[in-house]
Amino acid sequence: MEGESGDITMTSANRKCSAVTGSGRKIKDNTADWHNLILKWEKVNEEGFSTAAKIINIRRCQSEDQLVNKSPSFSSPATAVSAATGGAAELQDACCKLQDIVNKMVAIVTKMESLMTSQRGVQDLEEFQFGPEGRKIPLFHTWNTKQFESTSCFLLDIYSQELKLKQTILQELAHTTTSDLCMVYLSCWLHQPFIHPQTRLTLEALLLETGHRPL
Amino acid sequence: MKSLKLLSVDPSDRGSQRCRLGPGLMAELGLSLGSPLLVTVPGGSCLCTAWPRSDLSEGFLQIDLKCSSPSLISHPPTHLNLDPEQLKPVPCLKLKGVKITVVVQSLDFKKRAPLRLVHELVKDMLKGVYVHEKYVINLEDFDTEIRFVVIEMINMDSATAGLITSKTGVEIAGIQTVRHYMRQLQDQHTAVLGGLDEVSASLKEMLELPLLYPGTLSSVGVSCPRGVLLVGPPGVGKTLLVHRVAGEVGASLVVVRGPEVVGSRPGESEESLRAVFEQARAAAEEGPCVLFLDELDSLCPRRTGSSAPENRLVAQLLTLMDGMNQSDRFLIVGATNRPDSLDPALRRPGRFDREVFIGVPTLQQRKAILSVLCMRMPVCPSVNLAELAQKTTGYVGADLSALCREAAMHAIQENSKGSGNQAVDMKHFQKALKSVRPSCLRSSLGRTDLSPVSWDQIGGLEEVKLKLRQSIEWPMRYPEAFVRLGLRRPRGVLLYGPPGCAKTTLVRAAATSSHCAFLSVSGADLYSPYVGDSEKALAQLFRQARACSPCILFLDEIDSLIGSRSNSQTPNSVQTRLLSVLLNEMDGVGLKMLERRGTEKILQAEGAEENRTQEQLECQEVCNKDVMVVAATNRPDCLDSALLRPGRLDQIMYVPPPDQQSRLAILKVCTTLMPVDADVCLEELVAKTEFYSGADLENLCKEAALLALQEENMEPSSIKHTYFIRSLSKMSPSLSARQIQTYQTLSR
Amino acid sequence: MSKPASSALHQALRKSFQTLENNHKVWKDVLDECSPLIVSLGNLAEQSRALSNVQLSNTPLRIFPDLEERLRFKLLQATDTVLGKLNEKMSSLQSVRDTFSNQVSAVSQLYEQNTSSLDLLTVTERSATFPSVADMLEWLQDAERHFRQQFLRRKTLLQLLTADNLSLLESAPERWKSLESPSAEENIADTLCKVSFFMEAQ
Repeated sequence: MEGESGDITMTSANRKCSAVTGSGRKIKDNTADWHNLILKWEKVNEEGFSTAAKIINIRRCQSEDQLVNKSPSFSSPATAVSAATGGAAELQDACCKLQDIVNKMVAIVTKMESLMTSQRGVQDLEEFQFGPEGRKIPLFHTWNTKQFESTSCFLLDIYSQELKLKQTILQELAHTTTSDLCMVYLSCWLHQPFIHPQTRLTLEALLLETGHRPL
Repeated sequence: MKSLKLLSVDPSDRGSQRCRLGPGLMAELGLSLGSPLLVTVPGGSCLCTAWPRSDLSEGFLQIDLKCSSPSLISHPPTHLNLDPEQLKPVPCLKLKGVKITVVVQSLDFKKRAPLRLVHELVKDMLKGVYVHEKYVINLEDFDTEIRFVVIEMINMDSATAGLITSKTGVEIAGIQTVRHYMRQLQDQHTAVLGGLDEVSASLKEMLELPLLYPGTLSSVGVSCPRGVLLVGPPGVGKTLLVHRVAGEVGASLVVVRGPEVVGSRPGESEESLRAVFEQARAAAEEGPCVLFLDELDSLCPRRTGSSAPENRLVAQLLTLMDGMNQSDRFLIVGATNRPDSLDPALRRPGRFDREVFIGVPTLQQRKAILSVLCMRMPVCPSVNLAELAQKTTGYVGADLSALCREAAMHAIQENSKGSGNQAVDMKHFQKALKSVRPSCLRSSLGRTDLSPVSWDQIGGLEEVKLKLRQSIEWPMRYPEAFVRLGLRRPRGVLLYGPPGCAKTTLVRAAATSSHCAFLSVSGADLYSPYVGDSEKALAQLFRQARACSPCILFLDEIDSLIGSRSNSQTPNSVQTRLLSVLLNEMDGVGLKMLERRGTEKILQAEGAEENRTQEQLECQEVCNKDVMVVAATNRPDCLDSALLRPGRLDQIMYVPPPDQQSRLAILKVCTTLMPVDADVCLEELVAKTEFYSGADLENLCKEAALLALQEENMEPSSIKHTYFIRSLSKMSPSLSARQIQTYQTLSR
Repeated sequence: MSKPASSALHQALRKSFQTLENNHKVWKDVLDECSPLIVSLGNLAEQSRALSNVQLSNTPLRIFPDLEERLRFKLLQATDTVLGKLNEKMSSLQSVRDTFSNQVSAVSQLYEQNTSSLDLLTVTERSATFPSVADMLEWLQDAERHFRQQFLRRKTLLQLLTADNLSLLESAPERWKSLESPSAEENIADTLCKVSFFMEAQ
């Protein structure tokens, strides 16, 4: 971000060439992919949250049922069993759904990884073409190729961390009994602690740099 | 004009500052809708805006007390009839600025809310309100933490009321909590104290210094005193003093009465004590605070044994007092009337640093107390407070207030019988004096109901009478003469002489004429089966006598009461122990601290004429602090010689058997009330009654009268001489020549 | 009695009631928008509380060492955002209140300027369809007071909320709800009904 005011005159010339080719083209496409993947993640995450909330509610109902069934000892066991089995089936469904969602997330992160590899490939190519210092004139506005690579690396890191968290939650969610811990799982899912506000900024910077967003 | 009936305010009008009245009255007062109006009700007044009643009916009044004088907050007026004249339109201009104090609900809010926010809220709340200087704005209808706003000052040249607009500058002088504010309101109504000026000044200084100027003390590098112990007999006003001083300093007061914190469950007492300290700490955060432990002796008795529950309580108090750090800006004041029974660990610097002794009031103090008490009573101008103060030796503040109450009751009773005079007269006080006795003498051993005896009722013995007056009455009456001549009054007087020669009566006459308290004790009062009890009782007696000095302590038949060390068989008997107590009490090293009275005054030689009488009174006060011991015996040889030396019973008077002239005088006194026949020749009787004592002579007259009754069938017109002669022949004198000889040799 | 003063006052009153009706609608809308925000504030507080209660090192989440800090940061951030939104709502409430206050004080001022020509009989005169001037002024003041009270109560509540005082945040939704005063709202509706004929009689 530093020194952008000084470089504007130089970059304005580059901006004009609409048909970008080569490395520039690749990077621009990658950036668009990043953006789409992150949007998709958000959507999936929201879905996942509602499913997770559902799981927790089912769990809560079950434990309350148990409490209710325990106290009057003469209630017919059949209804209790049917309720429990009904709940269990529902729970099973919800868990499967959550599993699917996490799988989707895994897919997203895998795509992110492949983006990363392609980014690295571009970087290697650039290095091969222009030597270790990279290109003299930036591809777009100010960033050099290395910066694109590190940015991708940063984003991938974040999302793979978050995925790991989600996977842990998926495994534990249906087996948790304490309500406080359930709450923590849910808020973890919702607030995505590893995706800090800088992520959004980084993505925007990427979009700005590659010209997806008008300056 | 018709009077207005005050109704309670309509719920929908609450917080609107409206005063609902009939449109007719509004027109009459020249009011338009919403004009400001000052309504005066008993106990205060309030500022509101005039509105017609929605039913337009006349004769009723409803006021919303949004802006009222502080006294109306705690006691809102209800169900009154008001005169229309009590409504007064006031001109209200827009104000440029006001200075206010904000009263908030909780301390928490005060701490948490930034001043900027409070300022913003208050300004919003006050917009459009008519305010009056020194009045309180009630903001409870907003239902926020901000409860009241006190208008300290309004920025206006002459007016005292005005309207706050959005352009009015609001300056917050301070923030208080409701509790603190209410307490301040209450404190303004406490009673004034009389006669405790010096003590209260010293206590006040002690409170003010650390509470109001903690910075100064710490800059000197001294730690603030934390505790003050008030010591004094019951009823001298310890509790009242603390309340008063705390009110004057503006400190909030957390009161703990000893027994209140003591609970039955183990640990309960300690817990409540901790809670009290916590409370004081919280109160101290918003201003000076005094934690007052009343009846400290019941809370912290001397620790005994190993596991008494009190021990833990004492330990808790000690820890709490030590745990107070410099930032806790509160002071502990303890009060007790039994300092000896307190745990000694409490009475050391760092805990109760200082001890203030409040003694039984002196004459001047009594006069001050009486004048305070009589201030609110309709007292006749004839009542002489100085005289009353003189007569109330030994009375403490509580006794004096009881006395005044009793006098007022007498006056009321009398007034209810008819005469419309409401004033309390001197005679009412006289009556009350009979029923209210000093509380320090209550349940005292030697308390005697003394029927007054005048000197004239004792025949003869002129020389002894004179000497008694010299040693008892004169020092009390004319102390300045004694001081001028460098005379010291005698400590004690011993009257001895044959039995029946009016020794006891003489003492009674002396007590009557000198107007002082009179305690009399005999052997039976003092003896007890428990070891040490008798000595304690005697010491207690002296303490009480000193408390209500000037006082005459009369030890009748002192020989039986107190033996002699030389000829007693058992050297450690009760009598010898009593003797040593008596010797100590009569000229011990000094007074106990607890018994000190007032502050020492130095006698001044020069006396300006105008306050001569007052000086004289003060002089009396200073000179007669001691107890005069008067002893009587008919066996002076049995007394211990140590008791008879100067400084103890230094005036030794022989009361001789009556000689001829005395006998005549005695017979004259005895027969004044009898219808004696003209032929009775007292001189002849005198001649025939040698070796007769005064008591014998009195008996003789009685016998003669009885004989007359017997002979003349209950209807004698007078007692004839023969009856005297006949009864004389049947009697024999109780004294003998040898007895008298013995006394005479002793007196030489 | 002067006709022009009276009719001018009536005109001003009509305008004020018009404002009252509009403002009351806006006021209610804004308050409706506030309630989900307040609820989410309570939820966030609940989540923070749960996070404090749980010892993360004893749970399967122990593999993420800095998770607690990160989550707490996220929660605080969310709380701040919600508080910011609420403050925006409050300022729109304030503007509603201020508009109405100004309107009412303008009417009062108009009345005060004309007190000489409007005697008490005129201002308290009412008919079956027209309330008296005194009544209408009173209603306007009452409504204004209601807005002021409501605004100040809610403002006080919000101003004292901070992201680090959990218990206060948790209780916020309930307290917010308790501040509602349906009776005063009804009063305003009543007032608007009562003046409906007056409003139509332009």
